[in-house]
Amino acid sequence: MLRYITRRILWGIVLLILVSALTFILFQVFPTTDPALLRAGRNSNQADIQHIRVELGLTHPIYVQFWDYMKGIFLHFNFGYSYYSQASVTSLIFNRLPATISLTVGAVVLWVVMGIPVGIISAIKRGTFLDRASMTSALTFVSMPTFWLGLLVLYLFGQVVGLVQIFPGPGSYVGLTVNPVKWFTSLILPWFVLAATQAAIYSRLLRGNLLEVMGEDYIRTARAKGVREGRVIFKHGIRSAITPVLTVLGIDIGGLLGGAVITETIFEIHGIGLLNIQAINHSDFPIVQGTTLLAAMFVIVANIVVDVAYAYLDPRVRYS
Amino acid sequence: MKHYRKALYASVVGLLAVGVSACGSSNNGGSGGSSNATPKLPLKAGENAAAEQIYGGKKGGTLNVLSSEDFISQDPGGMYFALDYAVGYATQRPLFVYPPNSSDTLAPDLATAVPSTSNGGITDGGKTITVHIQPNVKFSPPVNRTVTSADVKAAIQRLFNPNVGNGYASAYFNNIVGAANAKGGPISGITTPNATTIVFHLTKTDAVTVLGALSMPGSSPVPANLIGKYDAHAPSTYGTSFEAFTGPYMIQNNNGVVKGVGYQTGKSMTLVRNPNWDPNTYASSAYKPPAYLDKVSIQIGGDPNVIGPQVLKGSDMAQLDTPSKSTVHQAYTQYPSEIMFTTAAGDHYMTLNNSKGPFTNVNLRRAVYANLNREAIIRIKGGVLTGSPGTHFLTPGTSGFDQAGGYAGPDYPWNKDTSGNLKVAEQYMKAAGYKSGKYTGNHVVTIVGSNNGADELAINQDVNQDFTQLGFKTHLIQVDQSVMYSKYCQVPKNAPDVCPSGGWLRDFDNGLAMLYVPFDGHAIVPTNNSNFGLVNNPQINAAMDTARYTANPTANAQAWANVDKLLVQQAVAVPEDFDIQPNIASGNVRAVDDIWNEGSIDFAFTSLK
Repeated sequence: MLRYITRRILWGIVLLILVSALTFILFQVFPTTDPALLRAGRNSNQADIQHIRVELGLTHPIYVQFWDYMKGIFLHFNFGYSYYSQASVTSLIFNRLPATISLTVGAVVLWVVMGIPVGIISAIKRGTFLDRASMTSALTFVSMPTFWLGLLVLYLFGQVVGLVQIFPGPGSYVGLTVNPVKWFTSLILPWFVLAATQAAIYSRLLRGNLLEVMGEDYIRTARAKGVREGRVIFKHGIRSAITPVLTVLGIDIGGLLGGAVITETIFEIHGIGLLNIQAINHSDFPIVQGTTLLAAMFVIVANIVVDVAYAYLDPRVRYS
Repeated sequence: MKHYRKALYASVVGLLAVGVSACGSSNNGGSGGSSNATPKLPLKAGENAAAEQIYGGKKGGTLNVLSSEDFISQDPGGMYFALDYAVGYATQRPLFVYPPNSSDTLAPDLATAVPSTSNGGITDGGKTITVHIQPNVKFSPPVNRTVTSADVKAAIQRLFNPNVGNGYASAYFNNIVGAANAKGGPISGITTPNATTIVFHLTKTDAVTVLGALSMPGSSPVPANLIGKYDAHAPSTYGTSFEAFTGPYMIQNNNGVVKGVGYQTGKSMTLVRNPNWDPNTYASSAYKPPAYLDKVSIQIGGDPNVIGPQVLKGSDMAQLDTPSKSTVHQAYTQYPSEIMFTTAAGDHYMTLNNSKGPFTNVNLRRAVYANLNREAIIRIKGGVLTGSPGTHFLTPGTSGFDQAGGYAGPDYPWNKDTSGNLKVAEQYMKAAGYKSGKYTGNHVVTIVGSNNGADELAINQDVNQDFTQLGFKTHLIQVDQSVMYSKYCQVPKNAPDVCPSGGWLRDFDNGLAMLYVPFDGHAIVPTNNSNFGLVNNPQINAAMDTARYTANPTANAQAWANVDKLLVQQAVAVPEDFDIQPNIASGNVRAVDDIWNEGSIDFAFTSLK
């Protein structure tokens, strides 16, 4: 197992380098704005623009720029400086990370708590009114785009703008250490928005997997041996059915930790997602590169964790 | 100025047209037809920016400001963006300033008076400007000392330092003696005979330009004894590592350190009172900031569709950047006292490549000019609340605008009908040698437009249609706005035949600030070029030169009006609209907006009711 994990981590590093190179190339090759022109004023002269290019290191060959950048990351954990604000990308990212982690963790807990039981109950009570109602609700939430759902709940329940002003409105997020109560209440609506669609997906996914697993021979054998139905479902059925759900969960967590752009924008939560979209609008490559690497790292780590978890959940899986 | 309000401004359409065009047509002679009468905005209470009362507010309170856009620079030498200016003018004191309710009359800020020939401030035929500064203005802590003329000199000299990244010094201050080769070091043409006097010696009679440019934040004093160590960095760290303030407010700081304290990049900015500011250090009642608010708390980021309703339904709030189109509609119809419109907000025009292709022919340009339906473009953008049909290139509120014909514009046949006139267009096609009145040449006209939003796409289609109506074969390329500028329209070697989305916003009240960079041949540069049409007409160039160096302000305005008329006469580009900028604030906010700065809220004059 240790060798397996080590091998996965090393491949993960290779993957991060490849992701970084691809992002670098895309930014250079595809039409985009020149960062030096973005920084220079509209009346600036060519000498000033050239000075900015030198200052930003843009006059070096691309491979030199890339090599300097990778050296900065691996040797100094330095993601460079924003073209737009000259702020350290590392500090910007770590400043925003707690907000994104808060958003992600809460949403994940909520959608797992909502989605998994609904999926199990729907599978067990297949064909009943409960099953049909659950799956119809799930389909409804799956169909709702996040930006629409976010605006809807704000205009229904958010303070200042809402019809029934129960929950804090946009821009009310504060850090956990600043005010835990306000932190929690300010995240209720964003958590719900993120969790609603995901819970629906997970419930449908688990229901389908569980129905398939419950038809397997070994389930029939367990029942034939007199194992209680509850134990059949939870110890034998769900244990197999949940592994694909776990895979999706890993990818979702990894992706969300890279920033929930729409939710963060609508609720004005200054996380990685909002940072990323601001950087894209400003063609601020160092930030885009940094957040992309971060998102890729989270996905890789999440997938490693999921793969390790497989080994414990499913005895058929052994890594050598 | 560096940035227009971005795509959001260009996307105020649709709902507005449906909701308010009925209101507009009843008292706006400029909409829905070919009239060129002076358009009147269908203003409601609180909306007449020019008549706004700037004094009489209540002291105290915190204003919460929301902005989806971030600031670019806090360095007064580097700032060149409307949002930066809103903070810059509240926290710094340039030599001169436009009062909030004026777009063309300078008032002294740090200076004791606006120099003129009658008060002896302008001498030597307009080649020497003497400015006296207030004797008791102090820098904020930790500098704490009195501002001297040496600090103003240092501020202007550093504008030429590439590390400061100033975008306009070489355009407006290049005629100061010794400035031509300046790189941030001493400039011989700026002298300080005593602690409260600064003298500018010019190589030409350029006093009118220099005076106007001294109203920009770059003339705000910086501590001369300290600035060197910050400007030695590339880029300068003044404004990030350290900043000293002279205005009624300052960015909250820790011993002068702003970033990470009062300014969190992309998140927030907090303005607090400058403890060293003295309200008795202003010479003119025309500009005497009352600084009613105790604090300004700015939140950055967020969705404009959410920010707007927050401000309209909330209290103690204002929006700093452009409200979304749905917000403008909502404000106008449901919260009319919470929205203000400003007419001095720049213009848009369609550029035609004057240097190659078919539009080197002046009659072809006139034909296209005559045929462009400017009324349709206004309707696409949202109707009368977003702009009035453009008829020349100086904008309302700029000196020379009225002399150039006002809203009706110069009286030329191709300029008369703002909804387009195919018959007139065909006459000029014939004059260009196309006897049928339609283009029969082989050239395919390349049009490069922005695809940022439905409105831009609709404008591109409208423009394309106007060209095909005249027989042109067209190739329409639609790309992201930033790509449109950086790969096509601002790069002379790639310049297309037509850029439908050109435009300009003045830096100060002078025709030079509106017309030189977009239309003078000397302003053409290989990259970051703003003369999209590559206009290089010797007659126009000479007229601009003459206008610039006309020392008498009244004659100067007339000279620029003559340039403006010449631009229309030569049809170098086709004006589309005179922009109107909306701004919103909550009902309990007595918002005072700077009509010279796209109506941005003026924190030094705004108060809570």
